[in-house]
Amino acid sequence: MTDSKNDIQIADESGDKYKYGFVTDIEADMVPMGLNEDIIRLISRKKNEPEWLLEKRLQAFAYWQGMDGPNWAKLQYDKIDYQKLYYYSAPKQKKAPKSLDEVDKELLDTYEKLGIPLKEQEALAGVVAVDAVFDSVSVATTYRAKLKEKGVIFCSISEAVRDYPELVQKYLGSVVPYTDNFFACLNSAVFTDGTFVYIPKGVRCPMELSTYFRINSRNTGQFERTLIVADDDSYVSYLEGCTAPQRDENQLHAAIVEIVVLNNAEVKYSTVQNWYPGDKDGKGGVYNFVTKRAACRGKGAKVSWTQVETGSAVTWKYPSCVLQGDNSSGEFYSVALTNNYQQADTGTKMIHLGKNTSSRIISKGISAGFSNQTYRGLVKVAPQAENARNYTRCDSLLIGTTCGSHTVPYIENRNRTAQLEHEATTSKISDEQLFYCRQRGISEEDAVSLIVNGFCKEVMQHLPMEFAIEAAKLINISLEGSVG
Amino acid sequence: MSRLLQEAALAGEDVAWLKEYRGRGRERFAAQGIPSAKTEAWKYTKPNMFLQNDLVYQQVVDEVRNRPELPFETYKISFVNGIFAPQLSNLPPKIEILPMIEAAMFYPEAQALIGKLTDTTKHPFAALNDAYFNEGCYIRLEANTALDKPIALMYHTTQEARGGMMHLHNLIVLESGAKAELIEQHSYEGEVKLNYFANIVNEIRLETKAQLQHYKYQNEAFKAVHIALNVVNVKSGGIYKSFCLQKGADLARNETQVVLSEPEAEAQVNAAYMMNGWATLDTTTDIEHTCEKTFSSQLVKGVVGGQAKGVFQGKIHIAPLAAKTQGYQQHRALLLSDEAEVDVKPELEIFADDVKCSHGAACGQLDAEQLFYMRSRGIGEEEAKAMLIDAYLDEVIAKVDNEKVSEWIKSLLKM
Repeated sequence: MTDSKNDIQIADESGDKYKYGFVTDIEADMVPMGLNEDIIRLISRKKNEPEWLLEKRLQAFAYWQGMDGPNWAKLQYDKIDYQKLYYYSAPKQKKAPKSLDEVDKELLDTYEKLGIPLKEQEALAGVVAVDAVFDSVSVATTYRAKLKEKGVIFCSISEAVRDYPELVQKYLGSVVPYTDNFFACLNSAVFTDGTFVYIPKGVRCPMELSTYFRINSRNTGQFERTLIVADDDSYVSYLEGCTAPQRDENQLHAAIVEIVVLNNAEVKYSTVQNWYPGDKDGKGGVYNFVTKRAACRGKGAKVSWTQVETGSAVTWKYPSCVLQGDNSSGEFYSVALTNNYQQADTGTKMIHLGKNTSSRIISKGISAGFSNQTYRGLVKVAPQAENARNYTRCDSLLIGTTCGSHTVPYIENRNRTAQLEHEATTSKISDEQLFYCRQRGISEEDAVSLIVNGFCKEVMQHLPMEFAIEAAKLINISLEGSVG
Repeated sequence: MSRLLQEAALAGEDVAWLKEYRGRGRERFAAQGIPSAKTEAWKYTKPNMFLQNDLVYQQVVDEVRNRPELPFETYKISFVNGIFAPQLSNLPPKIEILPMIEAAMFYPEAQALIGKLTDTTKHPFAALNDAYFNEGCYIRLEANTALDKPIALMYHTTQEARGGMMHLHNLIVLESGAKAELIEQHSYEGEVKLNYFANIVNEIRLETKAQLQHYKYQNEAFKAVHIALNVVNVKSGGIYKSFCLQKGADLARNETQVVLSEPEAEAQVNAAYMMNGWATLDTTTDIEHTCEKTFSSQLVKGVVGGQAKGVFQGKIHIAPLAAKTQGYQQHRALLLSDEAEVDVKPELEIFADDVKCSHGAACGQLDAEQLFYMRSRGIGEEEAKAMLIDAYLDEVIAKVDNEKVSEWIKSLLKM
């Protein structure tokens, strides 16, 4: 390590708006570029994984080799050369840290820039627990002791594989099998780390659990794997936030989030995604191909996805709910904002299988600049799903004449007792609203922010407090330069 | 090569451009093949069943015994088993109406327009239609003309056409300011389980301020396959207004593609479908707003019983700079039985900001409270249901301007 100072790139000099564009100069422990069976064995060995997991990886890899990437989404991006990526990169460290004091100072500094100083958080006691993910390996997990008291398991997937193999073996890949889709299959073969959460029967998790993802090393694909299991009558709210440093090459991110919800349990999953969206001319930016799915296995199980998507050059993401248990319910609240040359194809799937299941979809899309975004959703009611109920609302706001906004909902109903409603509108910011604000001395840019934030309110109010504030700020930052 | 491509002795094989035109249709159909479940545009309506049938292309003339007539006066152009039947037709005076093949061979102005609106690289059955280009008619209304009666295209199929296929291509041109009403009726006689394949392509051109009301009643036999493609181009101030009622066939698709190519062009595409049994009835629309100040609206309502399947795929496309456009789309479906299915894909594709666009889709069953209200007033269950269904479909039938036509459509629902 030659220079321990963080190399803060861009920020204001280049006129870019991306606030979190810096690279931490820290030695990464990398595996050679490319992807083959040996690389997978190497990743598995480096992580001291048991044989069964390696087998699962190899099985997925074999299947992946026979697959083609999806081409149905309204997205245009250069073909990804999977042999030109690094599939493993972990911050170098001697041994697993026992407390924050042992954690590499550079990492802690990085988090400080992101606004999540772990030390401060520990002092703040019991507000939010952060399982910070730096590149691919979890380096610090706080508040674990406190959670342990309640029996809540909140750790990295690698630790879970070691300490709770029976739980991981039972649930990993049970919601998103490796055969599911191209990117999920890739992830199943090469995932490096992620988060495992288990909430035992009858436990209400005493705090909101949160993970900060960061992409750091050059050309490193991020293959996170999150598994959340909520046992009977439990509750947990999980936050996921993302920022990434500025890069010229496109960075690939193909994560999987699996949630299992048992009888009368409830999981709230909130995401603020603010990865590097590329510059004004559409150069660089993160490719975000994520598979997120929740299975409501138990009766009365409840899942709620809330997402604010402002980052990434390309987003391909459909958080879904499989409503298997009777009386289970799923919710999806989304705000997607695209500017410059960003592209987003996002939405949800609600699969009604159990009786009296209900789902609700509220999607708000804002396109500006030269960006394009698509809401793509599926509501499916199986023949046995008596009295299913769905309400879907998709609103799009266009800012400027060069952007596009598309809505592609699929509704498949095979039960007559189902009651399904879908509504979608597309419009621009009305001149009257703008005039009203301008007349009261509000600048045009502030007025647009105000109106856009109002447009998103229905979704924002479902975010936990801390996130809601950050998300509102993010939307303002992302909108800068789109007006006038 | 698909069995659907067969040798056929068609008129005009010695005309070079016709030969080339049909050849291109064959090539394009062969290249696309019959759509499978993986073909996005045919995801819910899978016409694979063709493969199991040995359909033959043959033109059989038969005597018509029992054709349902329209309850009002029209100028009739009749086709029996896909062949023009002049003896059953009564053509309007002064209007240019010709059998398609005749227009194609001897009328350069018709020839110049044939196939120009249809993209056969993206629609296998339109390509197949071109491969057998022969039957159909050419209708042209001169500027500022109007007809006193609707023109009715009566397609009728008899038992002789069993296991056969027919391909019809119509070209309808309304010059500036011309006004017309067009009715299409698809009917059959004899055994209800008659199987055949009817493939119709309508190319419709509305010049400046021309107006066309287009009504269609599809009541094919229970084992028939019906694929219709309406391609419409509307110019400045023109209005295309359509209503289609689908009731018959085993598998039917009525697809309407409208291009609003100049400012103030307007399209209203409405439809209703109603079925029992095992049918799959598909209503597909694609409205393209390529220009500013264009308007479109769609209302589609369906009633599905038995083990039937209703499909609606609607698309509104708004091109960049097509400002001040409005596009509305509504689909509603009523499921009457436990095994009925409805699949809906309403799509918006918008590249301009100064627009008003919305779509809505809803699915449900008959309202138990409404049913109870009527039952408690002594109305029998079946009758109460029928009344509710009537009321439900009334909303879309009300969009039909011609009273005689709307009365006729209402009477069709009762059967």
